[in-house]
Amino acid sequence: MNQKADVVVIGGGVIGTAITFYLSQRGQKVILIEKNDLASGASGACDQDIILQSKNPGIHLQLALASSQMYKTLEKELDYDIEYENTGGMILIETPEELKIMEDFVNRQKALGLQVEILNYKEALRYQRGLSNHLVGSTYSPQDAHVNPIRLNLGFAQAARRYGAEILLETEITKIKVKNNQIEGLETNRGTIYTPVIINAAGAWAPSIGRMIGLKIPIKPRRGQIVITEPVPPFVMGDVLSARYIVAKYNPELYNNSESAAVKLGVGLSLSQTRKGNILIGATREFAGYDITNTRTGIKEILKNATRLIPELKEMNIIRAIAGLRPYTPDGLPLLGPVNGLNGFYLAAGHEGDGIALAPITGKIIADLITDGKTFMDVTALSPNRFLM
Amino acid sequence: MKEIQIAVIGAGPAGLAAAIELAKAQGNVTLFDENTKPGGQLFKQIHKFFGSSEHLAGTRGYNIGKQLLRETEKLGVNVILDAPVYAIYPDKTISYSHQNREQAIKAEKIILATGATENALAFPGSTLPGVMGAGAAQTMINVHRVLPGKKVLMIGSGNVGLIVSYQLLQAGADVVALIEAAPQIGGYGVHAAKIRRAGVPIYISHTIQKVMGKNEVVAAQIVQLDDNRQPIPGSEKILEVDTVCMAVGLSPLTELAWLMGCEFAYIPQLGGHIPKHNHNMETTVSGLYVAGDITGVEEASTAMEEGRLAGIACAQALGLYDQEKAHTLKKEIWNRLNTLRTGPFGKIRKFAKDELLKISREGTA
Ligand SMILES: Cc1cc2nc3c(=O)[nH]c(=O)nc-3n(C[C@H](O)[C@H](O)[C@H](O)COP(=O)(O)OP(=O)(O)OC[C@H]3O[C@@H](n4cnc5c(N)ncnc54)[C@H](O)[C@@H]3O)c2cc1C
Ligand SMILES: Cc1cc2nc3c(=O)[nH]c(=O)nc-3n(C[C@H](O)[C@H](O)[C@H](O)COP(=O)(O)OP(=O)(O)OC[C@H]3O[C@@H](n4cnc5c(N)ncnc54)[C@H](O)[C@@H]3O)c2cc1C
Repeated sequence: MNQKADVVVIGGGVIGTAITFYLSQRGQKVILIEKNDLASGASGACDQDIILQSKNPGIHLQLALASSQMYKTLEKELDYDIEYENTGGMILIETPEELKIMEDFVNRQKALGLQVEILNYKEALRYQRGLSNHLVGSTYSPQDAHVNPIRLNLGFAQAARRYGAEILLETEITKIKVKNNQIEGLETNRGTIYTPVIINAAGAWAPSIGRMIGLKIPIKPRRGQIVITEPVPPFVMGDVLSARYIVAKYNPELYNNSESAAVKLGVGLSLSQTRKGNILIGATREFAGYDITNTRTGIKEILKNATRLIPELKEMNIIRAIAGLRPYTPDGLPLLGPVNGLNGFYLAAGHEGDGIALAPITGKIIADLITDGKTFMDVTALSPNRFLM
Repeated sequence: MKEIQIAVIGAGPAGLAAAIELAKAQGNVTLFDENTKPGGQLFKQIHKFFGSSEHLAGTRGYNIGKQLLRETEKLGVNVILDAPVYAIYPDKTISYSHQNREQAIKAEKIILATGATENALAFPGSTLPGVMGAGAAQTMINVHRVLPGKKVLMIGSGNVGLIVSYQLLQAGADVVALIEAAPQIGGYGVHAAKIRRAGVPIYISHTIQKVMGKNEVVAAQIVQLDDNRQPIPGSEKILEVDTVCMAVGLSPLTELAWLMGCEFAYIPQLGGHIPKHNHNMETTVSGLYVAGDITGVEEASTAMEEGRLAGIACAQALGLYDQEKAHTLKKEIWNRLNTLRTGPFGKIRKFAKDELLKISREGTA
């Protein structure tokens, strides 16, 4: 079956469906193709944080702030319950060394307009009960929020369909057609689609699409394991992270020579509670190829870490564990925008651990770039060409 | 981490029989069960079993259990109780919870004999205390000697519904009614006759509509169904009961097999999704075997035979039996299984089991 479209989006995660929604809303004829099912990749196996405080002060935080603004009205726009809640969030600090790094981090975030402060241990307890008394304190921001990522993914898809988008599931791209450095279309296991624009939003799998046209995309799958408890009465205040996660993310050298299993697996606390009451306890950050099985050491280290920080978690029953693949990039920033030398080929992938928070803004930026050729902020730092030149 | 040769998960008739065969073959076998007593369903069965005399028919279920236990003790099988197994990793590391903490052990071969779990119905009020599975009620009366309630409504007229109704009467409860959605009784006539004689009304073509009560069950509303299984307005009846038992079928307990990545076949006659397996009871995951109700809901007799089969095949794979000896032993078991799977109920199961073996062969070819 042959089809025609203005734009074809590859990948039905939060990023692909967000782009499809914003483009369709502007009248573009969009076809999204997804190898498996909606939310079958990282977007269906992740935490639910729209957390601003964890973002590096700079373009990363700017993006997150803009996205968080969009979230305020998103539920209405999509006409779909995405379980969005502005809960606030905190980052637990364990040592004076971490406190120093976090103080600097927080000050630079404030300069960019984020409402965030440092709390001592007693103040921290007012927001989250059960904190271990070895903690030095925490940060707190009222701007953090969360959303059900699966509902977000489905909500974008449903709203996009209302604007005329076509979503083809169990459809895999097999070949990209190029003529004179211009995208002409693509072939899938279900037929040919003619289009001048292809957007690679295949998350951790984006490199395999790049290989079809000789592009070496430096994205790697970074596995994250999460352990889930039975539903319990409200316990977690919002999004609770540990400074170790931030420090490990931005100052990896501080932990690099440690031999412990937790450090090797990149374990950092990320805690939140779903609307039904299940507590999500995360997570690892490991390079293990495309393997999405949970490991015994992974589960063990996640639980050891979480109960060290909040001992009361020991009382809760675990009902399952999941794992997803974050699309990692070498500099921690996504690859957004057109690829030089190949007209009509765009990348929108590599959001690593922030794709949920950044989905709306990514959709808007890509839609802007395609329909207007420019967007509201300077996004050159995100251009895929920084790696592909 | 401790390493063992064979782990058997589930100490019902299938798991016990498998462990016995392996111990007889000098295998190093450890048997796990989540309960504090081994025996699986057997210790709840105070009635005389049906089937052929070669298969201990006429013997009460718990006595079969006792015989199996005596044998495991004699052979020195290592049994770990109060140990729910909640994960098996690809390298066959088994995680179980025991003495209040996670413990792990690595096995060369694993036999899953986890049995089946009761199906439940959802209706208004179905989460009220007092609504329970018939198996749960049976455990309460026959194992823990606690009466779940005084006035019981039983849903489902298969053998489980019939037998548990009778045992509830024996335990001193009043079974107010037994209802069945189908236009005929599902289980054996002898069991139905027994509870009829005791004065329990059996309503066929009836279903439950709702359960009333604030903090516990105080009444249940039932309704008659027409030929298309639609409720007939005006036929509603309110029964004053404090307990509602559901005996609406069993489904194989297959989570661990899914976790290991086994391929499955969907066979409704056997209770749903069943791990594909060959004549040796080995699944599509090498070194992982299944036996008993997990391979399709049947009976204790077939469960024991399948357990033996898996045990012997496993012993053969470990080199504990030579080809010829194993072949002879397995052939005897298959003959017995084929005899067991006769009669009106058995024939349906034999057909379904053959289908499963066929699908499994095609799937792995
Ligand atoms: C444990 C964990 C916790 C996380 N917590 C958070 C959090 O709290 N907050 C946050 O903001 N982010 C979080 N993330 C990150 C977030 O999940 C990801 O950044 C985000 O889901 C990426 O979305 P995506 O659409 O790019 O990728 P995916 O959701 O992986 O979607 C890519 C899709 O492309 C499809 N695909 C692949 N190849 C092809 C092909 N050839 N043809 C067609 N389709 C193809 C895949 O099937 C898949 O559906 C977490 C991630 C993990 C793993
Ligand atoms: C009311 C009733 C009457 C019956 N009457 C008869 C009859 O007359 N004749 C007859 O032949 N059959 C009868 N049966 C059926 C018979 O009891 C079952 O077919 C048989 O017990 C199945 O044996 P099994 O070993 O496969 O499973 P089970 O006996 O169910 O044993 C499985 C064991 O595994 C344990 N287990 C499960 N998962 C785990 C885990 N993850 N970790 C640790 N342990 C685990 C379970 O707790 C259980 O102890 C009756 C059943 C019922 C309910």
